[in-house]
Parts: sequence; structure tokens; C-alpha cells
Amino acid sequence: MNHLLNKQSLPELLQAWRADYDVYLPQRLEGFSHFMLLGDQKIGLPDRPHNTRVPPKALFLPMTEALVKYTRFGAYKDAELKVNPRIVFAVRPCDAQAVQLLDSVFEQERYSDPYWVERVDQTITIGLGCASGCANGFCTTVGYGPFSKDGLDALLTDLGDRYLVGTLTKAGEALFEKLDLADQATAAEAFEIQHQAHESMPIAFETENLKEKLQQNFSSTYWEQISESCLGCGVCTFLCPTCFCFDLVDETQRRERVRNWDSCMFRIYSQEASGHNPRPTRVERTRQRLSHKYVYWLDQIGQIGCTGCGRCVSYCPVGLDIRAMLRQAQSLPFEVNHAS
Amino acid sequence: MPLKFRSPYTPMPMHVLHAYYESTDRSLKTLELSFDDPEDSRTFFEQFNPGQFCLLSVAGKGESALGVASAAWEGEFVRFTAQKMGTVTKALHELKAGDPIGMRGPLGNGFPLEEWKGKNLVIIGGGCAFSTLYALTKHIHHEANRAEFGKLTLIYGTRTSGLCMYKHDIASWHESEDMEIHQAIDVPEENWLHHVGYVPDVVRQVAPSPVNAVAVVCGPPIMTKFTLPALVELGFDPKAIFTSLEKRMKCGLGKCGRCNLGHKYICKDGPVFSLAELNALPADL
Repeated sequence: MNHLLNKQSLPELLQAWRADYDVYLPQRLEGFSHFMLLGDQKIGLPDRPHNTRVPPKALFLPMTEALVKYTRFGAYKDAELKVNPRIVFAVRPCDAQAVQLLDSVFEQERYSDPYWVERVDQTITIGLGCASGCANGFCTTVGYGPFSKDGLDALLTDLGDRYLVGTLTKAGEALFEKLDLADQATAAEAFEIQHQAHESMPIAFETENLKEKLQQNFSSTYWEQISESCLGCGVCTFLCPTCFCFDLVDETQRRERVRNWDSCMFRIYSQEASGHNPRPTRVERTRQRLSHKYVYWLDQIGQIGCTGCGRCVSYCPVGLDIRAMLRQAQSLPFEVNHAS
Repeated sequence: MPLKFRSPYTPMPMHVLHAYYESTDRSLKTLELSFDDPEDSRTFFEQFNPGQFCLLSVAGKGESALGVASAAWEGEFVRFTAQKMGTVTKALHELKAGDPIGMRGPLGNGFPLEEWKGKNLVIIGGGCAFSTLYALTKHIHHEANRAEFGKLTLIYGTRTSGLCMYKHDIASWHESEDMEIHQAIDVPEENWLHHVGYVPDVVRQVAPSPVNAVAVVCGPPIMTKFTLPALVELGFDPKAIFTSLEKRMKCGLGKCGRCNLGHKYICKDGPVFSLAELNALPADL
């Protein structure tokens, strides 16, 4: 169903939802946009700056979280979890897509993660499509788009002084059912905006045979060339909406085993007790990061594990650009019929 | 609020039944653990297969991945041998009988025993990585399972005789008519009656037949690296050569990311892989 939502009445609607839900939306803070829990504060429209610095994956996989509690006598119990029903509002389609990709990691037949599953189950996700392109995004290049609907319960299209709200699930419809329906002409106007936005996204690199090229050039000097200026700070992985690696650490003061975000760009990440490290330098670690997104995800679930949000490009302190790396990869030699 | 389903991150409560040094230099210690909750024991043994591993948990120190070194028929306990290396294994070495300990598992795939039925088995181990092969040998050598497999050949090498694990069983296997055992140490010692040399060379010397046979290799990376080609030279098909891999692990469930080898996670999709499978994966070990 397509509804119309006046921007002026947005604060009122968000406040009304608070009766039944925790409401999260992007708000500007110290120059960056963050997903914040809505309180009584006056809110700004969630559309500037374009996207949050930390992706909303943090609402499902917190940066730090206790998983196990233990006693002095070595008894263990689950860390409890209380998640109120919640609405995450104005999630960009690249980030919603990423949460859906991560579902394939955390929700499995064997070993589902109860913390992830509970958070996802309690969440209604309202997307805000990207009518105007963002600085470094390349969603259409990797097969997604500025108005992708995956992982969303409703999707908003900015029509100037109002949004067209396309509801995609029952839960999404229930939130907006009291709003007027959009007429055909307005729906067509929104569709045109979506179409234009999709068309205006540049193709940052070719993905044809990219997987084979990266895979078959595992030992190439290409990896040295693209990783030479990397500082190994890990920001590309921390802010990546599809990166999910974590560490488990015992915090003795709190007697808790804690899950913290980790990064394959750190040396200690794969360092073994014997001293051996399969990825001892930035060369192997950069290869792991790119191969995971552009080779291994494809082998695992048939989708590229990068949604083209552009954060790794925007926030890299030395200006490394995954788009340029992958453009360079296109000139690597490869064989079409190589067993892969 | 309690979780909606059992968390795979929370260890089961266990107690140390026996703790003893496995090597004369005290670098290796064996722990035998009993289950506090009979329900945990039941579900463990329903799933357990030789070649699987567990995460042993010491509160305040963390977890360590260790291969299971016992066979199910031995009783309702689980055996591990830990080399003292870092924070957790040091803490494991300090445990004594009666101490509490946490355990998660069994994890990973284990050896494909169904696939191996009716075949001759060549089991090749080196150092403390022999633990899961010990579990495998004990399983196969047991009278209830022995008839399901063909000829059994065991090749086991350690740096010194003092580092040889499970000495009691090894001694009895030398007496057994039901298996061929070749033991090796790296450098000569007085009164040593068996092979002297590195495992890949001993494998070449013993030259087990590849006919209707599978070979399983588990040892330090350098041993595995040179033993796999030796088996290929002897005529073993890469599909009939198996090895058990190890990488740094945290979750053991294919989620924390670090033990991937290409698109496979060693913890979840392994640790046991055939050489044919490994040949199709990137050399990221």
C-alpha cells in the first residue's frame, strides 16, 4: 500500500509510536549522523547528513555486549537480554540489505545466535530511499539499489514536503494505516524519482568475472599494490554494514564473557598460539577483506557481501578506495573455465 | 529476560575427573571431564563423532579449542590433551581433579566414518595433534566397530620418546595383531626400538598401499605440508586423503569470522577436510 506522510507531521507520528515501541532514528550529533533512541527531544529530519557513520548493524550486533556471565566458582549462565519492540526509522536501503545478509550468518539451522535473532524479531525497519545520490555509494554496481526493499517493512520516498510510504509487510502497514492513501499520480511521481535515482548512480566498477579474477590471482602482486598505504586501522571493517567479525573476551571485573567487534585488518585477529599467523601482513589481510566480500560471500549465499554504502571509502584515513581497487582488479588475468 | 533458545555461547558445566601429565617434559596435560548435567551428557554423545573438538572454558581466562581424545565407548567423560601455550592452556594445566570447568561442543564435522566403512585406514599423526587420531584409533580398534573397517595402519611420530602421548595404549597396540603400528622420533635415543626420522620419510618407508584405503593426517602444519604430497606420490587419491585443520578460533560456530579458509569455516565446515577439498580452497593457512 502507498500512503502519504507530511514531513510536518512526522515528529508527531514518531512520538505516537513511542507508546508501543522504542523508536530509533538518525540524528545529527557532532557533525555525524547516528541512530539514536527517540526521547522527548525535538527532532531533525533524518535525511541529512546522508547516512549514519556507524551503520544500524550496531542495533542488532552491538559493538560490545555480554553473552555469558560466570561466577567465581566457574559456573556459567546466559547473559539475559531484554529487547523492547522497536522501530528503526529511516534506514538506508544499503544498510537494511546488509542486516538481511547478516541474517545468513547469525540465523542458521545449526547454532542460531539467540541475541541476534531476538533483536531482529523485535524490530520493524522503515527505510528511507536515497532520492539524491550519496558521495561515495555504489549500490547499483553491486546489484542493490537506492530504493532496494530487502530487509524493510516500509520504504519512504522523499517528495519534497512529504514522503510516499510504500508498506511492504503487515507490520509496516499497521504503522501507517491511518495515513491517507497516495493517488496514482503521486505514486507514479515517486516511482519516477526512484527510477531516476537508480539510473543516476554511477557504475563504479565492472563486476563481470570479478570473483574469478580475485580468486585466480590469490598469489598476485596486485594485493601488495593495493594494500601498501593501508594503516591497518580497521575503520573500513568497523563501519562496514556487512562486517560481523567479533572477539570473545573475559572481563574479570564484571565476571562476563563479552562479544566485541573485531577486524580482519588486525594482525592479532588471526595470530595463533604457536606464533604462526596465516595473515601476517596487510597484504594478506587486505586480500581477506576484499575476497570475503567479493568471492566468499558469493560462494556462500550467491550474493556480493558489500552493499555499496561507501563508508569504507569516506572514512579511510589514507583515502584507500575499494572502488579503485576493484577497477584495478578488472585488468587481472583470468581463465573463464577455471574450476572455482 | 531468559533467552528464547539455548545460547551456543554458554558453556556446559563440567568437572575435572582426572588430570595428569602426558609428556615427561610436562608440556602436555590430559584432562578427563565429567558432565554435571546428565542431559548435557546425553546430547553430547548423541552428536559426538571422532575428529570433533570442543571449546574448554576457564572463567576469567577465556576459551581454547581442543580436539576430543576419547572414544564414546570409554564412558560418560570427555578427554583432552592441552599443550601449555597461552593464557587459557596455562590455566588448564593448573586444574586438578574436582575443579569446575566449562565446555562447549562437540563442534565441527569429525571424521567421515560412514564413508570410510569397509576401507583400509592409514592413520598418520605427529606431536600433540595426535589427540583426535587417538580417539579415532580407539573407536575403530574397539571390538564393536573393528569389523566395519579393513586393515589398520598407524604411524605416529614425536620429537622425542618423552613427548609420545597415551603411552599405555600405544604399548598395547604394539602387541595387537589387529593393527600395524609404526612409531618414530626425530633424533636417535638409547634403547629406542622403532623408527628414527621425520613422519613424511617414515610414511615413504612404510609405503602403505593406496588400494581401497584412506589416509588421515594430523600433525603440526610443517608435518602435514610434507606428508600430504608423500601420500599422493604413493598413489593415494586426493579424495582419499584427509587432514584436520586448525586456526585461531573464538566462537566455534562459524560466526566470529577468523578461522575461514576461503568460503569455509574450519570450525563449522571442518576441521576435517579431504585433500581434494583443500586443493579447491585458497592457500590461506
